Amino acid sequence: MSRIKATVQFFHAWRHPDQIALEVEEELQFHIAKRTLANIENGMTPTEAQLAARQSFGHFHQIKTECCEIRRDLPFDARPIRMGIYIAIAVVAGGTALWAVNIPHHNVSAILWQLVAIAVLARAFFAGRRNKNPHCY
Amino acid sequence: MSKSKAGLLQGTLDMLILKALSLGALHGYGIGQRIAQISDDTLKIEEGSLYPGLYRLERRGWIESEWDVSDNNQRAKFYKLTRSGRKQLILEEQNWERLAGATMKALRAS
Repeated sequence: MSRIKATVQFFHAWRHPDQIALEVEEELQFHIAKRTLANIENGMTPTEAQLAARQSFGHFHQIKTECCEIRRDLPFDARPIRMGIYIAIAVVAGGTALWAVNIPHHNVSAILWQLVAIAVLARAFFAGRRNKNPHCY
Repeated sequence: MSKSKAGLLQGTLDMLILKALSLGALHGYGIGQRIAQISDDTLKIEEGSLYPGLYRLERRGWIESEWDVSDNNQRAKFYKLTRSGRKQLILEEQNWERLAGATMKALRAS
């Protein structure tokens, strides 16, 4: 059930990025406000307390951006889907190449089709290889 | 006896968040406080780093969130453990115990 909810949240995040950014900001500001209050209770002045709270929180905008990006990520591993798309492209390109081979070679458009098919196959091959690098994921 | 602040191993934060939430729903600030409390103030989480961790766990479906009103009447986002999160916590605890046991065994070897 929570997987379904995560998927719904993913689509919501894509449709309303501004609302998500505001929600994330509100949540992070709440944390800083709570920390500020705790610092005041521990004897700091309000200015010192707020400064200390911001320092202990870290890079606010960097964290906010990271949270927004995670909300916009697919709620499942997208690699099998991506691999499926590459295979589909390779199949279509291969089919086109076979079809073009059976057309007489004096036909210029057939040669162009073969070149396009080879280019698409090469593109799909190298894109697939690049995604094997774990740092790219 | 002075307590040295322990740094967190990679992946440990997820387990600690799940553990903190296994005791009840909490907002982000409360999770940090609870982790410090249950570890007797030994484990201190970098406050900001808690949130990307929370968002990742929510994306995996191990926790879920809901906006509610906090004890000081402010709107806050509360997190709670899901059923799959509870199962994941059991798995992570078992893995951790195995790893800690193996490390201790290695350290005691003469």
